[in-house]
Amino acid sequence: MKSREFSYWLFLTPVILSLTLVVIIPLLFGLYYSFTDWNGLTVSTFIGLDHYMRVFEDQRFISSLWFTIKFSVVTVILLNILGLGLALLVTKQLKSSHLLRTIFFMPNLIGGLILGFIWQFIFISVFSDIGSIFGAESLQGWLSSPATGFWGLVILTSWQMAGYIMIIYIAYLQNIPSELLEAAEVDGANAFQRFRHVLFPLVAPAFTVSMFLTLSTAFKIYDQNLSLTDGGPYNSTEMVAMNIVNTAFTYNEMAYGQAKAIIFFIFVAAIAITQVYYNKKREVEL
Amino acid sequence: MKGRKRRLYVLEILGILLGLLWLSPFYLIAVNAFKTNRDIFADVLGFPSNPTIQNFIQAFIDLQFLQSLFNSLIITVASIGIIVFFSSMAAYALARNKSKLSSVILLIFVAAMLIPFQAVMIPLVALFGKAEMLNMVGLIFMYLGFGSSLAIFLYHGAMTSIPSTLDEAAIIDGANKFQTFWFIIFPLLKPISVTVGILNVIWIWNDFLLPSLILSDSEATIPLRMFYFFGQYTKQWHLALAGLTIVIIPVIVFYFIAQKQIIKGVSEGAVK
Amino acid sequence: MRKHKGFTMVLLTFLFLGIFLSACMSDDSENQHAEGKISIDIYQGKVEFRDQFIKLAEKYEEENPDVSISVTAVGGGTDYFTSLRSRFSAGDEPEIFSVAGPSEAEDFKQYLSDLSDTKAASLALEGTLDGLMEGEQVYGLPFNQEGYGLIYNKKMFEEAGIDAEKILTYEDLEEAVQKLDSQKDELGIEEVFALPANEEWVISNHLANTFIAPEFNNSVMEAYESGTVPFEKSEELKRILDLQNTYSIQPTLSMDYSQQVEQYFTLEKVAIIQQGNWIYPTVAQMDQTFAEDNLGILPIPVEGHEGKLPVGVPNYWVVNDNKDDEVVEASKDFLNWMYTSEEGKEIVLNDLNFIPAYEGFDTSEIADPLSREIYEYSSKGYTIDWVFVGFPTPWTDSLGANMQEYIDGGKTWEEVIEDSRREWEGMRQ
Repeated sequence: MKSREFSYWLFLTPVILSLTLVVIIPLLFGLYYSFTDWNGLTVSTFIGLDHYMRVFEDQRFISSLWFTIKFSVVTVILLNILGLGLALLVTKQLKSSHLLRTIFFMPNLIGGLILGFIWQFIFISVFSDIGSIFGAESLQGWLSSPATGFWGLVILTSWQMAGYIMIIYIAYLQNIPSELLEAAEVDGANAFQRFRHVLFPLVAPAFTVSMFLTLSTAFKIYDQNLSLTDGGPYNSTEMVAMNIVNTAFTYNEMAYGQAKAIIFFIFVAAIAITQVYYNKKREVEL
Repeated sequence: MKGRKRRLYVLEILGILLGLLWLSPFYLIAVNAFKTNRDIFADVLGFPSNPTIQNFIQAFIDLQFLQSLFNSLIITVASIGIIVFFSSMAAYALARNKSKLSSVILLIFVAAMLIPFQAVMIPLVALFGKAEMLNMVGLIFMYLGFGSSLAIFLYHGAMTSIPSTLDEAAIIDGANKFQTFWFIIFPLLKPISVTVGILNVIWIWNDFLLPSLILSDSEATIPLRMFYFFGQYTKQWHLALAGLTIVIIPVIVFYFIAQKQIIKGVSEGAVK
Repeated sequence: MRKHKGFTMVLLTFLFLGIFLSACMSDDSENQHAEGKISIDIYQGKVEFRDQFIKLAEKYEEENPDVSISVTAVGGGTDYFTSLRSRFSAGDEPEIFSVAGPSEAEDFKQYLSDLSDTKAASLALEGTLDGLMEGEQVYGLPFNQEGYGLIYNKKMFEEAGIDAEKILTYEDLEEAVQKLDSQKDELGIEEVFALPANEEWVISNHLANTFIAPEFNNSVMEAYESGTVPFEKSEELKRILDLQNTYSIQPTLSMDYSQQVEQYFTLEKVAIIQQGNWIYPTVAQMDQTFAEDNLGILPIPVEGHEGKLPVGVPNYWVVNDNKDDEVVEASKDFLNWMYTSEEGKEIVLNDLNFIPAYEGFDTSEIADPLSREIYEYSSKGYTIDWVFVGFPTPWTDSLGANMQEYIDGGKTWEEVIEDSRREWEGMRQ
């Protein structure tokens, strides 16, 4: 199929049209607005880079960015450990393997916003109930401090996504011939050595895929953040996406929020490109 | 060998414990859905002392369940149909024409995945508002715009493993491009179609922010209606939990029916 | 090959079915308002009375067959104001919508119709129109009146031997609280208060307003026009916040409204909560007799303003001017009917359970004891106004966040006041 051919464009037009109207044009508008004093309804003056200059002095934005980075790092590590662990567990010949896969994947089917509300209920009401039964002080007062809010978000996200990451690892684990592992066992390698020298190199590509997935998801989280903590207490658990929405709507600074969104986009893109670059490099080395 | 049996046994126990831990939130939703508001706060963990189905009746009415289920189904099914239909064709065109232009187009689609929704949200609503497209049709079109990137990426990955001799043979037999794709190539992409379908069901079925800005009251989907239980200040937990139970049931049913494909689909999508 | 063909056909069927159905559906939505009728879209942010309000609209449609009304109530997950703004920027403007006060109305200045010639405006109670007036022009009609204060458990006060009538000053209150605290076990309560510091609006909009309103002479407009906030009574505010926090169930920073009202107050785990008449339906739903017999409300003590209760207008209806004259008139007629006709008033009182902000209501019919008590204060003029609807829009949020940080020990009170004052001045530039 040549690109000059009519059919080539016929096949491509619908998606190009939709991407242009839904993503590209709004993004360009957004970019333009970020250099003006747009208030959501009208534009009166062009102010250049003022908003972008402001972002770097915006303590609240910087701390939300920092919070998001910390959250993403912790979540990515935890999710990959959990996902791989669960995958290893359910690929053993257990009677309950099939059922367990089903159970671990289930949280993915429910929307983040609703999960946030459910977990809020769990952290506040259920945790304190369990805490008073067992006299565990540490279970009291979840979500009332920056630290518990942070871990609350981490737990929620891990519980929600671990099953998804597990499936990705399973796909790769199933491609590993069992003879390999058995041979290693016969050769007297212990469990850790088998994991380190046989399993791990083989599931490395899965790690790449799931890392990309978890990182981009963790970075852009909004729904869970909104319903679980709503940024509280005192905006200490506000993540970047929420900071942008709040700037635009609560503080009614549409153009400034738009500028933050553009910076956010550049940030996400930079992370993704770095990752792809390193993976490519590693694949070449292998 | 004996040690191995014992180890499996231990792992089995561990697995069941983890499974229970994973299920516990669902347990909490289900037991509390049968309690009155008062009983929920009096005792969260236990079984309902005097179970009531009143919450379910009320939640069913408040959710306008049949209508919102219908709305959700229409939007989800139509969006996914359109995404599969157009994205697979586009990926075919890109994969079979190896040129600079094709690579650039593919790159643009992939790059679009990185754009945070918040960056386009307001201008998007304004743009579609001017075109008087703030309704279901507009929303479905938006889902095509947001969803086609990943779909094209997945289809494109799968297309490279299908030998182009197949298409050539079909063309020689006198089929046009369109027929070649739909009758020869598309059926071979069935696993990827399922993957694309599943990933998008999970996203579109649960999406909240975008539809909340676009749909009118009569077009509201299930997640939008759920929020009547979470007012600006009040949370009607008893109704919310009953509503959640009702809402989760279709999802679980769907999941059990399509389970094999889902698990396969997710892993296919990852491996490609 | 054959098998695959089947799959393809199924998929295509689905696709076309979807397109077909969505086309039908969108036809429906266009025709929601039948031909030849004046259609009025009402947009508001109170999910709480959505169903009752729809009933009111249906009643009006029955009486006025040439008008068709559709009501949208925006709920919890979405911020009402966010979606209102996006509707406007999309050009999909409602005919009638609600705003909280002058700060919210600011962005919609060019859309507000003058309502001063409506019957409802002429019947509005003294002062209830102030928040949205400019000179002689009236831009908003009050929803209703609401009041807040310290809601207490009457039975417990009796048991503890406290006469609520006698609590006027801060010292009186402190004494009562200590008395309750010393009898916790006998009364069967966990603590005296439940302070939901997680809800910024409780500590900043409401509690802080009580101490800021007097310095703006109880005038929403004065607050709205002020370039700074004096905060003369900041020490009094601190005192009462500390009192509630010290004697509250802990941790206060994760406690939300629903726990405060349902879990602690209605289940009689605490004796006093700072809240308003809107809690009544929730309490009644859990425990009807408790709600009817056991709720009393006390003013929050402010020096020099003892015995006054904060009563105000939480929201205003405004009519969009950017529509045909005929539609604007029809919108005004509906609001008039709602607050001045017999059928409308009936529903406003008994289904919406509003404390009316208009004359001509049979106030003995006010639905619940809390509202009756609040109406009492209001009709005698023993009130502090709700001036916070005139604060810079996001300011209450940041004050709330600062107060939360103070509770958590991250900021001193001086810092809270200084930061908040600086933010106010920054927002007013």
